[in-house]
Amino acid sequence: MTSNSTQSQTIPSADAKTSLALKVLSIWHIIFAIAGLAGTVMIWQSASDIADWIKAIVSIFLVLGATFSAIAVFSIRERKHRGRTISLVINYLGLLASFFGGLHTVGFFTGIDSLGETFSKGLPYMGIAFVGYLIGTIGDRYQKDHPGTAQKFRKTAQVVAAIGGVLFLFAVGIVPGTLSFISKFNSLIPILLLLGVIIFGIMVWLMWREPTRLAMHTKGKDQLMLEGYLFLSPNFIGFLFFFAGPLLFSLYSSFTDSDAFGNANWIGLANYQEIFNITIEPLEYADQLAKEVINIEVYDELSRFNFFGKDYVVGAEDQLFWISLGNTIKFVLLAVPMSVIPALLLATVLNSKLPGMKIFRAIYFVPSVAAVVGVAMIWRWLYNSTVGYLNYFITSFIKFVNSFAGSELLIDPQIGWTSDTQVALIAVAIMAAWQWMGFNTVLFLAGLQNIPGVLYEAATVDGANNWQKFWNVTLPMLAPTSFFVLTTTTINAMQIFDQVFVFTQPPGGPGTSTTTIVLYLYRQGFQNFRQGYASALAWVLFLLIFGLTLAQYMRQRAGDEAI
Amino acid sequence: MKKLWLVITALIVASMVLTACGGADAPVEEEAPVAEEAPAVEEEAVTEEEAPAEEAAEISLRWRTRPGNQEEADLYQGISDGLNLDGITLEYEPGGSDTSSYQDVLKTELASGTAPDVFWIPGTDVADFVARGLLLDMRGMADATDGYADADFYEGPMFHLTFNPETGNSSETLWGLPRDVSTFALYINLDLLAEAGVDDPRELEANGEWTWEAFQETAEAVSALGDDVQGYSGSAWWGPYGVWINAAGGNFFNEDRTACALDTDEALAGLQFVQDLYASGAAVPYGEDGEPPFRSGNVGMFQNGRWATPGIRTVDFEWDVVGLPVGPAGNPGNWLFWGAYVVNADTENPEAAWELVQALTTAEVQGTVAALGANIPSRVSQDALDAFLDFTPPANNQAFLDGLANSPTAEGPLWAGSWPDFGAVMDTAISSLLTGETTVEDFGATVCDEANKAFQE
Amino acid sequence: MSTYRIGIFLRNLLLYITLTFFAFAMLFPFLVMVFTSLKEASDSYRFPPKLLPRAPITMAVEGYDEELPLYFVDFEGSQEEFVLVEKTVKVGEYAAPDQLDMTYIRELELVTETSGATTIYEDEEVPLYDITVDGEVVPMVRVDRTALGRFANPDDLSVTILQNLRSSEPVERLTWHPENYTEVVNLHGMDRALTNTALVTILVVLGQLVTSVLGGYAFARLKFPGRDSLFVIYLGTIMIPFVVVITPLYKLMILIGWVDKLAALIIPWIFTAYGTFLMRQFFITFPKEIEEAAVLDGASRLQILWTIFLPASTPALATLSTFTFLYAWNSFFWPLVVINTGNEANRVLTLAVSVLGGRAMDAPNLVLAGAAIAVLPPVIIYIFGQRYFVESSSSSGLKG
Repeated sequence: MTSNSTQSQTIPSADAKTSLALKVLSIWHIIFAIAGLAGTVMIWQSASDIADWIKAIVSIFLVLGATFSAIAVFSIRERKHRGRTISLVINYLGLLASFFGGLHTVGFFTGIDSLGETFSKGLPYMGIAFVGYLIGTIGDRYQKDHPGTAQKFRKTAQVVAAIGGVLFLFAVGIVPGTLSFISKFNSLIPILLLLGVIIFGIMVWLMWREPTRLAMHTKGKDQLMLEGYLFLSPNFIGFLFFFAGPLLFSLYSSFTDSDAFGNANWIGLANYQEIFNITIEPLEYADQLAKEVINIEVYDELSRFNFFGKDYVVGAEDQLFWISLGNTIKFVLLAVPMSVIPALLLATVLNSKLPGMKIFRAIYFVPSVAAVVGVAMIWRWLYNSTVGYLNYFITSFIKFVNSFAGSELLIDPQIGWTSDTQVALIAVAIMAAWQWMGFNTVLFLAGLQNIPGVLYEAATVDGANNWQKFWNVTLPMLAPTSFFVLTTTTINAMQIFDQVFVFTQPPGGPGTSTTTIVLYLYRQGFQNFRQGYASALAWVLFLLIFGLTLAQYMRQRAGDEAI
Repeated sequence: MKKLWLVITALIVASMVLTACGGADAPVEEEAPVAEEAPAVEEEAVTEEEAPAEEAAEISLRWRTRPGNQEEADLYQGISDGLNLDGITLEYEPGGSDTSSYQDVLKTELASGTAPDVFWIPGTDVADFVARGLLLDMRGMADATDGYADADFYEGPMFHLTFNPETGNSSETLWGLPRDVSTFALYINLDLLAEAGVDDPRELEANGEWTWEAFQETAEAVSALGDDVQGYSGSAWWGPYGVWINAAGGNFFNEDRTACALDTDEALAGLQFVQDLYASGAAVPYGEDGEPPFRSGNVGMFQNGRWATPGIRTVDFEWDVVGLPVGPAGNPGNWLFWGAYVVNADTENPEAAWELVQALTTAEVQGTVAALGANIPSRVSQDALDAFLDFTPPANNQAFLDGLANSPTAEGPLWAGSWPDFGAVMDTAISSLLTGETTVEDFGATVCDEANKAFQE
Repeated sequence: MSTYRIGIFLRNLLLYITLTFFAFAMLFPFLVMVFTSLKEASDSYRFPPKLLPRAPITMAVEGYDEELPLYFVDFEGSQEEFVLVEKTVKVGEYAAPDQLDMTYIRELELVTETSGATTIYEDEEVPLYDITVDGEVVPMVRVDRTALGRFANPDDLSVTILQNLRSSEPVERLTWHPENYTEVVNLHGMDRALTNTALVTILVVLGQLVTSVLGGYAFARLKFPGRDSLFVIYLGTIMIPFVVVITPLYKLMILIGWVDKLAALIIPWIFTAYGTFLMRQFFITFPKEIEEAAVLDGASRLQILWTIFLPASTPALATLSTFTFLYAWNSFFWPLVVINTGNEANRVLTLAVSVLGGRAMDAPNLVLAGAAIAVLPPVIIYIFGQRYFVESSSSSGLKG
């Protein structure tokens, strides 16, 4: 206490006002502690229409809040910086809770729908605001030579943008919006929450103020910590609520037989067991029926193979999982090289200083910005084996070649792009590669432009030809970019869903030839209602992706060290 | 410039906040009581809570169908607006189509309690929905309703719609009423058939000569016209190939639908015929959508249901329909397709829902729907059928009605097993059969082992 | 020297040819989309496919109620434009029994059987017909039947010719049907879907910029306990496929009443690990000294972030905006699950296109018009902001 008082003497301003503030804070925390406990009791006694688990979560928060509130009271009295931290955290969380709770109860979030209704009326005015911005950017050009002109442009831009903004507000209905917003505060809960916002807000402000900080002896390190949490909090809280929470729930449900109708029993690892349960049995002769050697009640025949002259049959309990896993891997092996290798080659070409390269670069990028759903609709037409363009081009090309050769040199394959089980997955892969390639090209191009020209000059001096330069300079220097490109493309490819879902009819067909893991998961979860099982599948997929990424990362690391 | 952006962004955000907070009640309120839009003070925006805001007696029902196209969606909207049910406000929601997974969305909503009160499901789904306890049994209400009789509708659908899974008997329950029915016919390109110089299938049919052999000859003659011309096209699902199995005297299931019967000699004979048809090159390859080549004038005979009629009405060649050819078993093996309006087991207004189901299946409403050309009324009444014959083209509407009259196999759910599981196994196996990847022998040896798993439990 | 130049020239030519080929492959599907969306329904199904929308040219001919289409025909060795007066004229191919390779085509209606006479043709007894060849009547067998179109010279209808209709080429003109777009907009509510998508996208981009900048700054520049382990967790979740959380997230939406609401498409998407990661990677490259100087001057963290970090972060912000924009605009799976397909008011474009794909399955011109409405806005924005898009996405790769 004594050493502290010497410190506080050095800051004379920390007295009267601040100690009053701290007193208020102490009282508030006492009230909060009592209210928190009372609230807990009330929840369990009165509110009967709320699910138990929600009650439990709310209670935990309230009890924790009350406990820490009590601790805070003592810490504040002793002017320990810990008290400030606790108080800030509690009040900040309270502020957020009452603010968003308030928004929720007055129907702010669901009210976005009505904004959707009026939004189109506001769009032209938003255009005006954008024009304002454009004027401003024109002004920036004069910044160097004619600062005065630039200033004028900026003024005009601000005025135009402001007018556009205000008109926009009126067009989307700010007046009726505000009125009805105010009218919402006619019942108890919104008013209580508004009150909460105000009180918590004041408390946070009282504690955050510089004088209070000094009075509470918060050191730079602790202040930094508080600021860190503060800055992270908007993202982190939303992340917890909308991602981490559901994620943990999905992990839990992968150990249950949850069926989406509220029935869920803990079944341990049974889901995972079913996924991975396979059996391998030897066959007496190559085309012996599978049911003679494996238990057909449990297993379905997956495939056969010959190993040192002996035939074996593989059976799997969940045949479709293995098929979809195989399809996914096939897809990755098709789509990744198809979208990465041409991208690398095109990027090296584009990197040459020939004229027009920027236009090509721009064109290659176009498919990347288009919606998968729309793209799939287009490709369905291109692929149609009877009236589509692709087969028409192939047929025309073959006729052209044959007319030169004067004989049936080539035979028209009439590929059934979407109907042939051997081809359908390739068709999807081509479509996906088409969409991903431009993006990868641009990434590679950026990587290429970062390679110092000196290296090539040195190679030229050493007498390397173009190919050697590519192999010995470009590729190693491009390794980080390649890692990024490969990893992201692989992850995307492993999760392929939209393309298959929109493009193939029925989704995953013909047969099971385009059923990928995510599509299979969707079927189990949303068609067969085996949501526990679907969750387990999802986690298996995650582990696969994680493993793959890790492997690629290790390889890149190893490669780095080798250089 | 940064500041300017700040100003604009702040303005936008501010406007969003304020308008979003309340715009709901304010601007567009004239039309319809947009009850569910009012963000309201209730915590959960579940269906029925709007009621108190309106007059207390008014019941509001949501219902949904899967429309085939926009005209149908509009028509159903019109029906919904036109129905005058005492004290009931109707809200129609057109569901998605096949491609936007009507059933998946519906099931998800059922699971989460946000599904409509009355909705349409395809016949094959009824058992699955009943087994999960999602459908309301309306037998009691139906028995108490004057003028209602099961026999007003086709027997095939009603067998399944009144099936009691606990006793295994029919006529003991009522899960729903059929919206409409449909059968297959062959849409024929008369120009192409004439060019191929074959006899008109309609005449052959009238003379009782429209057999599998005649069909095959016709298909081959047409596809001989050129590389890009084919005799026959179908679609890749159980309906088209099932026809050939039925016509050969086979079936997907055994008599009491408790086991797979795809490996019987009859079923295999039917499959052998289709496999040969596809292998002969006289057909658009299995799995390709059969409609585009038919509509571009390159296919002689296109097998599809009545629902394809509106689209085909836009082609610019001469066309008509003819019944399916008669198979070895002496009939064309047609299907009776159907779907039904059923009631959500969780509805809060079962009486009103039953009233709505009846109102949606009156002869008048069915006539209105059938006039669009895509459906056939599901009521067994001569008036309805006579009216249907007027909805031309095609001139030969009778072909569809013959399909109905010629003891078609009714599409149906699997009460003893899981239709989705069975269908998945069958589709995969038959698709590799019809694309020539497996032989009929191999297919017969293994298909039922896998398919019978759909009957476990 | 000149051979060297030729070599260079050839190499460049080859390069340009390759580049052009790929450029064509990249753009062709879009061309198909745009042109098909301008066709009329009957024009969209045809073989061989034609890129540009066309309509047959018809002309009024005396004696016919409807206008008749014009076709190219070979008439006496030259190509003429004739009108089609009769679509299917049934004809037979006839040949004398002793000379079967010489066939004559005659209309069935104009041929009479040789009374009572038959012959054996292909092991069957068939009737003989009177066929006039060069004024001489010859009994012949019918070896084949087919149908031909009857075309007439529009100036002189008595001049006619029989020719296979299917392989005849119609005389056509270019046409376009922009009303497809109005139809799609009016009937299928594409306009509302468009503004909804715009609204959702704008809000998601803004929201994500805010939370990512704040979070990225905290991870990069502020030290607090648990920072590094939290960051690793963030990183790890980037790899988790979205499907993993779709069911629980949907349940959460039910709980807070956002099912079928635009909020469900916006709020959950403004807190992403990816954006935070991106901004953190960018902020961490800033030299420490600048920041420390500002702290000594008494600037608050927010001021530092606003005045020092943000102005220098345009590339990173552009990258994040680009990614988020594309993601929000194009996302399909989540809207499919969470927005009721029947709810036209809250539909977004991807959903509307998918519904349209089913509803108008038999009208590809409409489907592709819908697809164009969904696909073209980002493309147009991209064309204008090309520099930002391309350069910003390239910068993301460097720090990955």
